[in-house]
Amino acid sequence: MKNIYRPIEGILEEIITETSNIKTFVIRSKEDFSFRAGQFIELSIPGIGEAPFTPSSDPNVKEKIDVTVMKAGRVTSLLHSAQKNISLGIRGPYGKGYPLEKFFGKDVLIIGGGVGLAPLRSLLFSLFAQIDKYNKVVLRYGARSPADIVYKQAIPEWAKLNKVDIMTTVDVGSPDWQGNVGLITTVLNDLPVDVKNAVAIVCGPPIMMKFVNLKLLDLGFDPKDIYLSMEKNMSCGLGKCGHCRLGKYYTCKDGPVFTYAQLQGINDIWD
Amino acid sequence: MYSIYFIESSKLNQLAQDLTKTHRVFAPVEKRANFTCEADFSYKKFSLSSTLDFNPYRAVEPLKSFFTYPHEKVADYFSAEKNVVDIPQETVVFGVKSCDIAGHKIQDFVFLEGVEVDALYRAKREHTLIISGDCIDFKQVCHCLAWEILPYPTWGFDLNLSPLNEGFVAEVGSRKGEELIAQHKSLFVPIRDAQIAGRRAKRESLVDRLKRHLLPQNLVTKDSVQKLVQQGYNAKTWKEFMLTCVECGGCNFICDTCHCFLLEEKKQNQPGLPAGGQNAKLRLWDACLYANYARVAGGANPNKLRAQRLRFRFTKKFDFFVSNLGIPACCGCGRCIEVCPGKIDIREVLKSLAEETKEKT
Ligand code: SF4
Ligand code: SF4
Ligand code: FES
Repeated sequence: MKNIYRPIEGILEEIITETSNIKTFVIRSKEDFSFRAGQFIELSIPGIGEAPFTPSSDPNVKEKIDVTVMKAGRVTSLLHSAQKNISLGIRGPYGKGYPLEKFFGKDVLIIGGGVGLAPLRSLLFSLFAQIDKYNKVVLRYGARSPADIVYKQAIPEWAKLNKVDIMTTVDVGSPDWQGNVGLITTVLNDLPVDVKNAVAIVCGPPIMMKFVNLKLLDLGFDPKDIYLSMEKNMSCGLGKCGHCRLGKYYTCKDGPVFTYAQLQGINDIWD
Repeated sequence: MYSIYFIESSKLNQLAQDLTKTHRVFAPVEKRANFTCEADFSYKKFSLSSTLDFNPYRAVEPLKSFFTYPHEKVADYFSAEKNVVDIPQETVVFGVKSCDIAGHKIQDFVFLEGVEVDALYRAKREHTLIISGDCIDFKQVCHCLAWEILPYPTWGFDLNLSPLNEGFVAEVGSRKGEELIAQHKSLFVPIRDAQIAGRRAKRESLVDRLKRHLLPQNLVTKDSVQKLVQQGYNAKTWKEFMLTCVECGGCNFICDTCHCFLLEEKKQNQPGLPAGGQNAKLRLWDACLYANYARVAGGANPNKLRAQRLRFRFTKKFDFFVSNLGIPACCGCGRCIEVCPGKIDIREVLKSLAEETKEKT
């Protein structure tokens, strides 16, 4: 019988610097590994530490997985100082992915904040792969400053795609920044989406999600159509260790993506 | 329906001794009296020269300690085979009580059900015989009946022993139990109706005594407890009771139902460990009353305050598990009450919540 705690080996093939504190790690798994957009993995430096991350790569690309990591705690700092070609441990994938079939025929509004664009990138790749199935894809991305924007080269390329509408905003501009300046909520006013036939997918820091969620409700989104990525200190990923409990759910197995309708009635969800 | 026999005390002792040849056998042994002047029983490995004690109530250690360990290796970096679960040693646990069995249902639910089965746990479960016994007395802290758990097991054991005269009524509860009897047939004799009646009378009298002990305590009931912790979310109770908590985690570790753990890393060639070891993944029991239990990378912590941690523990036991499994995750064994250096009493916390929420409505 399968040992559910066994990590598989992955080789760290490439390290891409995205911003001063965000890097993307490209990992080649030694065993078959695949995931759906929105699912997460537990990534470990053997013998040193493990942490949960949602891959940022295209789920249809099987040979490699990208994980975009912001330097925040002990494990992420160690990863940031890692060298190429070391072995990493991978467990997963865990959790439920985005229910893509439910988005068919709809306007898909994606709102990301900071490094929260990482998991959304893998969702975007999944959407782009079957773009005919959706009415349109609208991305609104907010970063602290132009220097904090991730996937700087890719975003303008995505914007050229048919049926895709992208706008980026920064909290604080810089002399050469031509885009919007202001919090993410300021670019959610005249959205080119029909709220009655749309879904909204939000990923970012808790405080950003809290306000974006309020804004979306204001705009008339149904709580069932708002998808939120919840952050908890996951350990096992399997609904066993107890750490990620959120009300009657475990974030790892029932999420990490929840509709706001699921979370209504649970206390202190943004803490 | 499984079978039921009678076994004399000396024969039961012989059974335990015989089992040591093929199994690791654990049985509770009386310790010196503790400060409450009640005798405590603690698990010891049983050997050929041991004699079996019949513990009148549960042991100090929770049943879970035979199935998950405070500290254990769960995987290696990187093992070639996908199916690396060692077959554990055959084990027999004597002296298990009804509350333990009821509480252990939570452990089974966590590790045997859900998205994936924990193969390590399942292997230990499959290779362990549970020999339980009726309670013939109770501790001051016992309150199984409050959760509608009877002080004698009716399910969840391989063999259950009910003391009667110079022996025990031995009821089989599983296929594994039947196999055990088949291998030691000569030690058991057929049961007589009078012995069944005798068992019933003893059981009823203990239930009566326990009821009389519990009635004046006016405890919160099984069907009201979920609503109570929901309504009491902002109660002062959480803060008031936690003033004396020293965050030892004892209540979590000693609990029959608490199952939380943390996966940790063990580094190869760590000082103090044998050289040449592989990097490994460890599983450590964790406690939701510890300050860092819910802390995320970057430092945010939804349970910063001790009051939040107590509330987390209670909503897990009395809301989460009622929603997900239909039963509260407390079996009334009272271990947490005895262990707590801060004298925080689960019965009192619930009663205080009940009073607070009553005042409000
Ligand atoms: S709580 Fe009940 S079942 Fe458990 S030891 Fe006490 S009397 Fe026995
Ligand atoms: S046993 Fe008592 S002091 Fe220790 S963590 Fe639990 S409540 Fe706190
Ligand atoms: S991460 Fe262990 S239960 Fe969710």
